[in-house]
Amino acid sequence: MKFLKFLGLWVASCGLAILVACNNQAPSTSTTQSPPVASSAPTEQAAHAGHGKKININAAILSELDKLEAKLGVPALSNKIQASRPYGKVEELVSKDVITQAQFDQIKDMVTIEDIQLTGEAKDVDYMLKLGLMKGHMMVAKELLDLGKPEQAEPHIGHPVEEIYADVEDQLNERNVKAFKNELIALQDRVKAGAKDANKTAEEYKASIQSIDGAISVLPDTQRKDHDFVLQVINGLLDTANSEYTAAIADGKVKEAIEYQDSRGFVMYANDLYKGIADQIEKEYPASHKVIVATMADLLKVWPTPIPPQKPVKTPEEVGTLIKQIETETKKAS
Amino acid sequence: MRRWTQSKTVDIKQSFLNRRQLLQAGLLLGVTGAGAIGLSQLWRSRGRSTTVTIPPLPQEEMHHGAGISPLKVLREFDYGTVTQENGRTVREFRVEAQTGELQLNKSTKFITWNLNGRVPGPTFRATAGDRIRVIFYNKAGHSHSLHFHGTHPAAMDGVKPVRNGNVFIYEFDAEPYGVHLYHCHVAPVTRHIGKGLYGMFIIDPPQPRPPADEMVLIMAGYDTNGDNKNELYAFNGMPHAYMHQPIPIQQNQLIRLYVLNMIEFDPVATFHLHANLFRVNPTGRLLEPSYEADVITMGTAERHILEFSFKETGKFMFHPHQDGIAEAGCMGYFDVISGLPS
Repeated sequence: MKFLKFLGLWVASCGLAILVACNNQAPSTSTTQSPPVASSAPTEQAAHAGHGKKININAAILSELDKLEAKLGVPALSNKIQASRPYGKVEELVSKDVITQAQFDQIKDMVTIEDIQLTGEAKDVDYMLKLGLMKGHMMVAKELLDLGKPEQAEPHIGHPVEEIYADVEDQLNERNVKAFKNELIALQDRVKAGAKDANKTAEEYKASIQSIDGAISVLPDTQRKDHDFVLQVINGLLDTANSEYTAAIADGKVKEAIEYQDSRGFVMYANDLYKGIADQIEKEYPASHKVIVATMADLLKVWPTPIPPQKPVKTPEEVGTLIKQIETETKKAS
Repeated sequence: MRRWTQSKTVDIKQSFLNRRQLLQAGLLLGVTGAGAIGLSQLWRSRGRSTTVTIPPLPQEEMHHGAGISPLKVLREFDYGTVTQENGRTVREFRVEAQTGELQLNKSTKFITWNLNGRVPGPTFRATAGDRIRVIFYNKAGHSHSLHFHGTHPAAMDGVKPVRNGNVFIYEFDAEPYGVHLYHCHVAPVTRHIGKGLYGMFIIDPPQPRPPADEMVLIMAGYDTNGDNKNELYAFNGMPHAYMHQPIPIQQNQLIRLYVLNMIEFDPVATFHLHANLFRVNPTGRLLEPSYEADVITMGTAERHILEFSFKETGKFMFHPHQDGIAEAGCMGYFDVISGLPS
């Protein structure tokens, strides 16, 4: 073939153009290395197989990860595991230099990346945090409704049903909580339509809030008043507030009112939760209590009004520092 | 044999002849990974060139914001980290939902919700039958998700929100071959897509398509003031990027565009190419393109493969023929470079 005759010509030729071979193999673009251990990765629905009481290193809260920390006796391991997320395989604990191969061998039967059925306290914290996020959205929505700004309240009425409800639905069923999606949607529809009838809006708002509070109240009293439990929820709320606040600010201005307001609601509810356990903490950990109260007061000043100020009171970095400070103190107190 | 109508066959043959003539004249220079090209593949190519000439990209590119580079997005395909598990090819992709600032033009800064710092997100690419594993880590405040087009089990449909700080691993088989997409499916989806949580997902047929200069062009809109209308539009994330920096392509080179309409709020947009006709492969579901046009209409999330080559050199525009959308940022140029590399 004439065609082949010119193969040699091509090979010898050298030009400025970039030429791409016709096969489809491409170099991998991720820097992740293969795990050092033979993989037994599941072949289907990796994220949904139930696997006893293993710890999901992608999702576990710190108090759960502490079990690994205790087993290996490595200080601050829980935080290190959290900071190196996400994990595609459990073996990445080694390849990401979180622990050594020898340490991994000791805990490999305790860890998973599969979506496990949460149990015990971890499950309750997860449940409470989701409902807490709903509460934060609803609190800021109420403020905006009261200011006569239904168009600004609408996204915050929407977020609980759009972002959170599906995530907590299974748990609501399991805990025999009456479904309340329809209440949330009814309120959203009314607010979308302009919330013209103030009485009806107030009525439906109340129904939604009562449903959320009702869902929270199925947690045992001892749990809801346990400072250790509540502090974990507070940290979850503040962490989300931190991300939302970062997503609100650009160019030294509050560019996105929605994310400013989201973060405001989460911090307000975190503060409410803290009030409920403040006495306990003050008694047992007076030094931490002092720092938390002062830092929380500083933090609340970042959101002076439901409508964002022209110029942000603090930068996202400054807010991040305050939130970190509270997290550090809550660890001392738990 | 190809299933072209008579007139189209003639067209194609002419373009083959042109390329062969160029080859014989020794004008098409380049290096090729000859070792990687088996003889059988050469035979299979039936006269089509197995090399692809891509003129060098301009050295200098404008910087628009963290990690946003329209010229890089254009030809960058993420094939993932490839491993063999239980005798199958597994492609693992890692994406992190983040927030970031993007300078859309001199007077507009926009806060994006993005994947790995880019708008659009990475172009995932696999071969039909591969196992896909996407490790999705949400660090963007709101709940987000990744919903893939193509087929997969219900549990992997990506409509369930993944809360801030959480990880979800999507795993499914890459089927069927074609041009697909992925996007966040948390409501209001218009805002989650409009803020930047979308990307292309290409599944190649088991038998590779003929070699070509392949590019991704994703049309999208930006609602910069929250009024549920788009104020700006773009190809590959950056308004007017390819007007300022035309895309260099080689004369007579087969170009294969993977085009996606990801514009929210406007129900439909077309794609129009100047001074040429492209061959349409609808949703990339065929092994060969099926008809010719110079305007193709796409609803939101619709996508196609378009193939063409330019005989003429010079600059040629491409844009939706909703001209307001084009003029608000969704237009660009191909710069067809003559056969001699300069």
